[in-house]
Amino acid sequence: MIWDLDNTLWDGVCIEGEVRVRPGVRHAIEELDRRGILHSIASRSVGEVAVAVLKQNNLDGFFVVPKINWLPKPTNIIAISKDLGVPLDAIAFIDDDRFEREQVSYMLPDVMTIEAQRAEELPLMPPFIRSEITTEAGSRRQFYQNEQKRKNAESTFSNREAFLNSCHIRLVLRSPTEEDIPRVLELMSRTHQLNTTGQVLSREELIKVFHGKSGQTAAVVADLMDRFGNYGTIGVALAETGPTSWTLRYLAVSCRVLGRGIERAFLASLLSEALNLGFKQVRAVFRDTGKNREMRVLYQMMGFRGCGVSEEDGTMEFHARINEAIAGPPWVEVTCGFFSLT
Amino acid sequence: MDRVIETTLWNYLRENCLPQNCEVVYMDDENLFDAGILDSAGIISFVCFMEEEFSLKIPDEDLLPEYFSSVASIAAYIRANTMRTS
Repeated sequence: MIWDLDNTLWDGVCIEGEVRVRPGVRHAIEELDRRGILHSIASRSVGEVAVAVLKQNNLDGFFVVPKINWLPKPTNIIAISKDLGVPLDAIAFIDDDRFEREQVSYMLPDVMTIEAQRAEELPLMPPFIRSEITTEAGSRRQFYQNEQKRKNAESTFSNREAFLNSCHIRLVLRSPTEEDIPRVLELMSRTHQLNTTGQVLSREELIKVFHGKSGQTAAVVADLMDRFGNYGTIGVALAETGPTSWTLRYLAVSCRVLGRGIERAFLASLLSEALNLGFKQVRAVFRDTGKNREMRVLYQMMGFRGCGVSEEDGTMEFHARINEAIAGPPWVEVTCGFFSLT
Repeated sequence: MDRVIETTLWNYLRENCLPQNCEVVYMDDENLFDAGILDSAGIISFVCFMEEEFSLKIPDEDLLPEYFSSVASIAAYIRANTMRTS
């Protein structure tokens, strides 16, 4: 949710004098934050002045990567989308100025625009309604704020590998329980880039898999932490272990943790586990969703080769031979909590 | 052999994937994934840059470790796949 400030978040123009936070706005901000929706700012003003007003009103902590400057709003919205790794079609923009809204709609048609008068209705609007609120959702803002700390720390290093090694990144793989279902559903439906098929299972199907009642398919989830904080559950995989074959049916890793080789570490551990079970020939399923080229590249860079497309549902099968345990990036320490792919 | 392609690739990596104050001297055969310079998302942007910069189309099935792990292997791939006008 990207906010304009003057005459939207508050009444008045802050560089001209006193302003007052508009009724209902505080509640809308707090409520969306609780639901895991991030707030940012794209506003024409003087940064220090506007931030001081936000501080006086105890609202400054709610915003990530605010852009308070004189640049065109579409430019700032694109910058926010990049900084956060949030696609434009998952962004809404609220402004009192019709020109600004029209400009954003024209330049960035994927962004939803909202009139300032409707600020207090935000928690009731369908795009902001969440049927279930996961632990990860409530701490999403904290996550991005930690991420900012991580980026600042990174800028003090002159070597990326040394920086990554200093982060103490730990990935824990484990079998999911029923408590993980809301988060697994969220990962399946909200992860676009690092998602091998785009498939979303129903709650009932997941329960079956988690209880080992879905034939030969088993699930693994991955939790991530580093010295900056805990990221919660960031990945899920479904693997099918047959009598003579091992197939990775599904793999998704949250885009929030892109850029540090987590997806490679996760896949390498799964393949090593398959090798432990005695499979030297493994298969993996991929379906082009138009957004997940990254996953195809990941498979290929890890030694998989495409072996044809199914005419039925457009899925592609990839094959790989594994002869020795596959190493992931050395800066990710992987712990396999108790999990079994059989 | 001129190093135009290698230099162009390193310039991109320096600008987009390396710390601003990077003091490390990398060799062309450095594995970019093992060095933490590229990951699954980084390679996609890098490939888009190459397609534009060298006017070539890189099909997904060519994104293999033997071609895209190091600046040396990428440069060899680009040389083999670009039309030479000279």
